[in-house]
Amino acid sequence: MNEKIRMLDDRTVEVNLPNVLGYERIAMECSASFAKIGGLVKERIEDLKTAVAEACLNAMEHGNRDHPDSRVIITMYLGDKDFKVSVMDAGDGMSIIPQHIDIKKKIEGLEPPNGLGLFLIQQLVDQVEFKKMNGGGHVVKMVLKMEN
Amino acid sequence: MDEKNETRIERQGDISILHIQGDITAHSETRINDAYKELNDQGPSPIILIQFEPDAYINSGGIAVLIQILAKTQKNNQQIGITGLSEHFKKIFRMVGITKFADIYADLDEALQSLS
Repeated sequence: MNEKIRMLDDRTVEVNLPNVLGYERIAMECSASFAKIGGLVKERIEDLKTAVAEACLNAMEHGNRDHPDSRVIITMYLGDKDFKVSVMDAGDGMSIIPQHIDIKKKIEGLEPPNGLGLFLIQQLVDQVEFKKMNGGGHVVKMVLKMEN
Repeated sequence: MDEKNETRIERQGDISILHIQGDITAHSETRINDAYKELNDQGPSPIILIQFEPDAYINSGGIAVLIQILAKTQKNNQQIGITGLSEHFKKIFRMVGITKFADIYADLDEALQSLS
């Protein structure tokens, strides 16, 4: 598998992943290492890792529809006051972004047990934007603020 | 990606302990459901304790598998506890609402003491 990691400039890293479940962990670890350099605290690094993993999984399964030739591109920017991550796929994005989870309905079988990823992303990062791109594709932009 | 992961069942009185080693993802569905079935096939299991590894990778697909198990325990009137989670995943489980249906314990000793 040809995953590619490169520095676009001294504050920006790009990870270009094949559309393979499990490879989201490369993006998780890369973002964690980069954010640690910037001083993001341990608890927030765990939040970042889960948010990045869920955005990548969503991109692979729903955006790229498990298509083996598609790619997931993760761009990370280390700012002075925040850490930004975008996850891009070839899809159209989601029509509905769940704002809350009704666990009781899931337990009772009234809703499918899955569909937790987007909810978790919104809970774990400070800002998130789901955006359809003009030239095709979809991007999830996430921001975590550095704490002094 | 799940080859190294194992699931083991242990019994301590009325408590059936499901030791889940390694990652918890959508790929874990078969092994965890099979372990739950085996646990019940072995005899009455009124109390189930799921023990994760603190450094386990758990994603939304894995949480969905766990929700399926919680649904089964509710249907079968089984009490369920969870231990071995990192502080991060304790937070995640609270966010999702799993703590409404399963008690989370700091470690195995605390879990066994509380559930006995």
